[in-house]
Amino acid sequence: MSALLETRLSVDYPNKPGVLGDVRLTVSEGEMVGLVGESGSGKSTIALALMRLLEHKGAAIHGEVLFNGRDLLQLRAKEMRQIRGREIALVLQSPLASLNPALRIGTQMSEAWRAHASGAASKHWKVQALELFERVSLPAEESFLSRYPRQLSVGQAQRVLIAMAVLHKPRLLIADEPTSALDAVTQSEILELFRRLNREMNMAMLFISHDLLAVASLCSRIAILQRGQIIESGPTAQMFRDPRTADTRALLEAVLRNSSAVAEFARPESTVRR
Amino acid sequence: MSFKQKFALAILGVAVVASLGAGYLVQSSYSEQFRDAISAPPSARFWLGTDELGRDRFARLLYGTRVSMLLAPAAALLATLIAGLIGGAAGYLGGRWERMITAGVDLFLSLPWLFLLLAVRALLPLNTSPVMSVMITFLLLGCLGWAGPARIIRAGTRTLVNSDFLVQASASGVSRWRLFWRHLLPNLRPVLLAQFWISIPLFILSEANLGLLGLGVSEPLPSWGAMLRDLENYSAVLQNPWMLAPAVLLVAVVGCLQLLLGTEERGVSC
Amino acid sequence: MLMRCRLTRFTMALMLCGLAAASSASELRFCLRIDPKTFNPLLVEDEASQTVRYLTGGVLIRLNRYTQELEGELATKWKVSENGRRIDFDLRPGVRFSDGTPFTCDDVVYTMRELMDPNLHSPTGDVFRSAPGPVESRCTGSSATGSAGVTVRFPGPVAALAAQFDQVAILSAHSAAKESAVLGPFALGEYKPGAYVLLRRNPNYWKRDANGHPLPYLDAIRLEIQQNRELELLRFRRGELDIVNKLDPEMYDRLSSEMPHAVVDAGPSLDWEIVFFNQVANAPLPEYKRRWFRSDDFRRAISEGIRRDDLVRIVYRGHARAAVGPVSTANRFWLNSALQPPSGSQTAALALLEHAGFRRSGSTLVDRDGNRVEFSMITNAGNKLHERTLALIQQDLARFGIQLNVVTLDFPSLVERISRTFNYEAVLMAITNVDLDPSAQMNIWVSSAANHQWNPNQKTPATPWEAEIDKLMAEQGGSQDRDKRKIYFDRVQQIAADKVPMLFLVNPNALSAVSPNVKNVTPAVLAPQIYWNVEHLQVGNALVSQARNALVNQR
Repeated sequence: MSALLETRLSVDYPNKPGVLGDVRLTVSEGEMVGLVGESGSGKSTIALALMRLLEHKGAAIHGEVLFNGRDLLQLRAKEMRQIRGREIALVLQSPLASLNPALRIGTQMSEAWRAHASGAASKHWKVQALELFERVSLPAEESFLSRYPRQLSVGQAQRVLIAMAVLHKPRLLIADEPTSALDAVTQSEILELFRRLNREMNMAMLFISHDLLAVASLCSRIAILQRGQIIESGPTAQMFRDPRTADTRALLEAVLRNSSAVAEFARPESTVRR
Repeated sequence: MSFKQKFALAILGVAVVASLGAGYLVQSSYSEQFRDAISAPPSARFWLGTDELGRDRFARLLYGTRVSMLLAPAAALLATLIAGLIGGAAGYLGGRWERMITAGVDLFLSLPWLFLLLAVRALLPLNTSPVMSVMITFLLLGCLGWAGPARIIRAGTRTLVNSDFLVQASASGVSRWRLFWRHLLPNLRPVLLAQFWISIPLFILSEANLGLLGLGVSEPLPSWGAMLRDLENYSAVLQNPWMLAPAVLLVAVVGCLQLLLGTEERGVSC
Repeated sequence: MLMRCRLTRFTMALMLCGLAAASSASELRFCLRIDPKTFNPLLVEDEASQTVRYLTGGVLIRLNRYTQELEGELATKWKVSENGRRIDFDLRPGVRFSDGTPFTCDDVVYTMRELMDPNLHSPTGDVFRSAPGPVESRCTGSSATGSAGVTVRFPGPVAALAAQFDQVAILSAHSAAKESAVLGPFALGEYKPGAYVLLRRNPNYWKRDANGHPLPYLDAIRLEIQQNRELELLRFRRGELDIVNKLDPEMYDRLSSEMPHAVVDAGPSLDWEIVFFNQVANAPLPEYKRRWFRSDDFRRAISEGIRRDDLVRIVYRGHARAAVGPVSTANRFWLNSALQPPSGSQTAALALLEHAGFRRSGSTLVDRDGNRVEFSMITNAGNKLHERTLALIQQDLARFGIQLNVVTLDFPSLVERISRTFNYEAVLMAITNVDLDPSAQMNIWVSSAANHQWNPNQKTPATPWEAEIDKLMAEQGGSQDRDKRKIYFDRVQQIAADKVPMLFLVNPNALSAVSPNVKNVTPAVLAPQIYWNVEHLQVGNALVSQARNALVNQR
């Protein structure tokens, strides 16, 4: 497996330097990588920095983001726009806030489609959208397209966002806490959905979460982020078996203590499988 | 559609049909002076009486409605669009652009408009037909009335610009322009609509004031503004209460439009 | 504590106010439209300053606004000689300024010197500058007999010389108080910019009534500065004002229905409502339009076509008279009584238009070359009378297929157009006239004058009739024989009626309102219509005290 994404990334905000310090991440083609960290550790910043969506906030990004061999940080704005949504897609953490309240679902799907389809192709959005809705277990009906976000449940909203993200079959999907706003059942359904998409579309994924358990169930490799630094990274199994740093160990212990409790409640009805 | 809306629609319909069909409803033209019937009270011949020059008030009301109902909303639309673009752009682009645009808007608001309008009047030829001059008037109103709303829209945009759905949309590769136009502006709709509704009566009245600069609706064309200006003479109004008809109609029409379009806006979720 | 202090002071102020109101019942109150620009009588230009000058200034000769005759005031006698170059005054003895300094011939000499001082640029002095050269004035008379006189000699003849002194308020040469030392019935007491001007009775005023009682009767005049006419009317109705100087016809009718005894219609004034066409040679007009406007027949046809009776009846509600020409019917002596106002008849107008080569084409009128007759008429915005006048004229002319475009402009732009850029076609405006004498119209009729509005500043007269008017005006101005001058000016009026350089529409009536509390009012058509005899006016308490005095005198 060749490296699809390889970063060496530092980010400074004008009034908060060193949000990220030389973050090295590698994602190979079709690989699912988990990025775990506490809140405030800089996880969301990584997601936005990779997409170069931080610039208008005045953040300074240094280093390099090699995607498929090209340094994204060197691209012109127009070329970067071509990458977004088509090569790399993003799913944000709060599904309802991430959908435009003033636009119908259909309009938002069509907008996302048209961003990379011009001319005759721009008309095919509906077919694509309905097909994807089917795959993400949403009602594949025209009436659903004419709904507004406020008429959806959180789970439906997240599925819409995922459908929108994979519309152009990106090679990399960055999911920033995609399940944290969801209840346990929906959460596991979404995780299952990611797994399936990864399998069916051979889509690499950077799964950012504070939920080590969810990450572990999904990803083959894990990186641990703390105060803007990657303190440890490696295959999931190895991480659990033999954590190298004290911090990781502490984290793992905390998670495992909780998860056994969670597991006891969740197991009977959830379908977390590999 | 609720009963209220039907009612509003009916009133609007009557107003529109009456103003468009004015030629069939009244025999006299809006400009004909019946000099033997000056300031006459309502009668079978003149339903709302005549004005100080003996012109049929009812005919003037109908034709004036046609002029104002068509042009004031058009000017309000123009002003709101410009305000949306400029105010929205300021809030959306932020930083240096925002400071520049805000300064521009403030400058625009502080300009001595009186003198600029006088200059405009000086540039216009004297022999413009009344219809032409009324169009120019409302065009001017539209082009000048955007600055106030633009400030409000800028503030509204500021609160929207960091929202997740815009980040999400740009992460889908939507271009900046499209992001602004298709994703941000629709969210400003309530603000824009409010500005639009506020502008209409404002413009109708401004038109009357522009008349003082030689820019308004010129004789003999009637307009709501000019008819409302008649109301300044309060003692005449007390004696001839039917002079209030234009004001009542103005309130009714604006109210009805609001009722109709205002609920349509919310209607989807109901 | 502080609050209370303030409260006490406030109540005290209130009490004082009440006290003042009670004791100053012989105060006459009316409004000025704006703040007076100056209290120097020689620099007066605006109406407010003019009012103050009329009430405070003492003049050698006064035009009686009612009889329209000149009367001696500070001059007991005067004589004009050397064909209007020289005037001799006999001065009234024993007169004192308001500050007590005696009035002597020095004051007149000083006033004349100041008036003609080129550095002062006195607008009042303009009429006296008939020719280049110095104005000489010197004291005459002997100190032995106690009689004093002044001789003033001008470098050139001054038309209606004696009448011009009605505007010249005499200054004090010696008083330390300068401008505030006056010879008129009132003196400046207090001035609060934007609020009021308070004039107090001049205790040294020389005039006495028939019973020998010193004038004026009033103790004070309070001139409130109030721009809003509706408010003025409201305050008048509440009894807070005693006089409203100029009422528009609508307000007049409104007031007369409520207070029929308070309104005064003094009949047609000297003022004009006129229309004129642009006849300026290099005006930015299309050639064919210039041809229309320069056609006598066209102008006459328009003049004939305007129904002046309707203007009087509808716009002025009967409070105006159809104008005959430049002389109002109010001007008893100078009116050319052979003239009649244009008829407003459609046939007469059509005949003139046909004669000038215009014809009907469908619903519109076209000229000889087929150009549609459409022109604009400008007027000052915000003047309802003018707006309505134009609406009526528009309809009147529509009868002939003429399309008139009405354009209202702010006053400065209007003036700019008619006097500098000449970018206009026709204009409707009001001209205020205060002077009966035709020489006052010199600046309008003489073709080289800047105020020869339809075609100003001509090097040589553009038309034979303008040349003839120039000659007639010069002749009447050069003569001191009133009857001869009348013959010349009658001819000017005749030419104005035949050639119609200006369309005289109406002479609006002088409308005012005066509270029944004010006694001895004798309304005149000439401004100031109500208070021209201010020294004889009485208000409220003054009347009572006056009556008491009269009783005492009788005993």
